[in-house]
Amino acid sequence: MEHKQDAAISRQFVLPTLIFGLPEVRRLKRELESLDDFLRQSTIRDPGRQPQLPRLSRLCEALAAENGLNLLQEADRQQLQAFLGSLEGQAPTLHISFAADPSSAFTAKIVTWLRTQIHPYALLQVGLQPTIAAGCIVRTANKEFDLSLGQEFIKHENLLLQAFEAEAVLPVAQAAEAAPPQPTIPTAEVA
Amino acid sequence: MSIWWLALVIGAIVSMGSGFIWLALQLGGAKPRKKAADSFEDAAKEDVEHIFNEEFREELRNRGRLHFEKILGENAMFLQQDLRLTTAQLNDYMKGEISKDLKEAFANYQNAITDAKQLAVESIEKTKTAIDEERAGLVALLEKEVGEEKERRIQQFDTHLAQIVNHYVLAAIGNQIDLNDQLEYILNELEANKAAIIKDVRGGA
Repeated sequence: MEHKQDAAISRQFVLPTLIFGLPEVRRLKRELESLDDFLRQSTIRDPGRQPQLPRLSRLCEALAAENGLNLLQEADRQQLQAFLGSLEGQAPTLHISFAADPSSAFTAKIVTWLRTQIHPYALLQVGLQPTIAAGCIVRTANKEFDLSLGQEFIKHENLLLQAFEAEAVLPVAQAAEAAPPQPTIPTAEVA
Repeated sequence: MSIWWLALVIGAIVSMGSGFIWLALQLGGAKPRKKAADSFEDAAKEDVEHIFNEEFREELRNRGRLHFEKILGENAMFLQQDLRLTTAQLNDYMKGEISKDLKEAFANYQNAITDAKQLAVESIEKTKTAIDEERAGLVALLEKEVGEEKERRIQQFDTHLAQIVNHYVLAAIGNQIDLNDQLEYILNELEANKAAIIKDVRGGA
């Protein structure tokens, strides 16, 4: 099995953007295993009495198509299985928390960037953290990158303080200038 | 000295009185000795008895009594005069002594009171000076502390002000910014931290 995995790793597989993270990888593995079982059982059955081939998921079809694999071939299935196994065990996983639940298109864009800029087999684990407000927090195996708006505010806190100080000086001068003259009551009215 | 003088006078008066009493008793209580053996003597005695009969004796006794009473009265008068004089002198002396002692005591008291007053005034002055110094020190310390506290609070307020504003802005924004609108910002931030992320990813756990 390890030998097969090494062989799969040695070949450059393409990981479709639809496959975001580990849950998809595991689902693909299970699907591939069930397909493998079905095809093995079909060989045992009498010709013409085999049940209908199960329909593959969109992810599985995309993975096979992008890598030019025929899943009816056992060798291709084994290669893909080995690749998914190695992916499950070795692929770098990045946990990214957002303020809201991201859409698939948004996630796909992020995954595309990760696969092109960070690692071709990078997997994404999406988290939800409403306190972020805007931006995201990226957690790798060893580090945490706070790319949120709150962190940005903290970084530029001095600008805010400077603005406050500048604004605090102005109103005093303006108030002194704009202060209305004290109303004087005529002595006749007072009397 | 005066007490001894007084005691001497009283002793003299007492001894003189005792002498008079003894003399009166001797004159009144003396009985002729009876000498029965000697008839001459008896005859003489009878003559004496005849001369110094009861009436004569009574007369003598009366005279003696009167004389004694007179002397006693005179002496009593003298004694009274002496006593009055002595008492007056004693009173004067006592008055003088007591006045002198009292004056000395009062003078001492006055001096003591003056000293005590002076000490009290000095002590009060020292205490006042110490209190003034202490108060000045405390005022300076308090002003310093207040200044520092004011500065600290202003700094704290400034720091917290920024945090409060940040918190308020973040809370106000909430989920109002669409994630799709944030995409560019997020990608820029990821791009900015790309090198560190790659380093950590390739370094592995």
